[in-house]
Amino acid sequence: MVKIKYLLIGVPMVIIGIVVAITLIPSEEKRVKKQFHLLSEWVSKSPEENPFTMLQRMKDIGSLFDAQCELKVPDQSLSGTYTREEISTYAGSARSHASQLDLKFYDLQIVFPGKEVAKVTVTARLTGRTTAGEQMDETRELECLLKKIENKWLFSQIEAVEVLKK
Amino acid sequence: MTVHHKIRKFFFPSLTPKFVIRVSLIALFAYLFFGYLCIPFTIQGISMEPTYHHGGVNFCWRLPYLFSEPKRHDVVTVRFAGSKVMLLKRVVAREGEQVEFRDGRLFVDGKEIEEPYVLYPCDWNLPPRQVEEDHIYVVGDNRNMPIENHHFGQATKNRIMGVPLW
Repeated sequence: MVKIKYLLIGVPMVIIGIVVAITLIPSEEKRVKKQFHLLSEWVSKSPEENPFTMLQRMKDIGSLFDAQCELKVPDQSLSGTYTREEISTYAGSARSHASQLDLKFYDLQIVFPGKEVAKVTVTARLTGRTTAGEQMDETRELECLLKKIENKWLFSQIEAVEVLKK
Repeated sequence: MTVHHKIRKFFFPSLTPKFVIRVSLIALFAYLFFGYLCIPFTIQGISMEPTYHHGGVNFCWRLPYLFSEPKRHDVVTVRFAGSKVMLLKRVVAREGEQVEFRDGRLFVDGKEIEEPYVLYPCDWNLPPRQVEEDHIYVVGDNRNMPIENHHFGQATKNRIMGVPLW
């Protein structure tokens, strides 16, 4: 009985210890996830957003990308290599056409094929409303390549996966 | 034992080892069952109207295709990167078959297929195309929209997660 009591106290304590350690130690996987979290936060837009915040967000979005980033999203006419500034401008222009935006990422699967490279497969869902009042709801599976440059994980390639091929 | 005592014992049971183990097992079972076998989801969108309505709640039952293949007219869930976001569609053709729409009517291998579940008018035209190996062709029931706006096509079989429970 005493042994069971020790077990009942000891096992949860070990589990809590492991969970705390995992939560507090910043792994590379967590740092990659954080980049997606930031992209989601900065692309999203509330109807009350003022022009200064909008400009700041444009700059912020650019800072998540490598100096040269390859985009392959054919149905959005995005195909080729773009500079950080071009991506910032494109994001700003796209955001200006929306009165409300919400970008969310689901099911992130991260692998590290190299020491400074992360390959992420993720579902991206963009919902919102255009300035004309039309509803937006787009879901894509994305394959992203992030490179660790100067201790920061930056998006260097984003490709939309065709889930249903007409 | 009085009724009052019984109710109190039901809502505030004593934390005996047996009780803790029982609760842990139930929690583990529920996590595995609802996380991997019978995944709850809400329907967002109108592509399966009138069979499934926007806002409806359902469960994705994963076992049916463990030992068998999806059949024509089956309603299936198609995953993106994971199980958090899925598409709800109907199988209209299997690998090797030729799919075609003429004035809103479905033709598979040149033969017209009866679709009692399609209740809204449809004027789609889609030239014939072969369903590739290891793929199935899925379409929504609501075809009362321009063909360009409807998300349909062929998906690899490994993207089929399961069937809605009802």
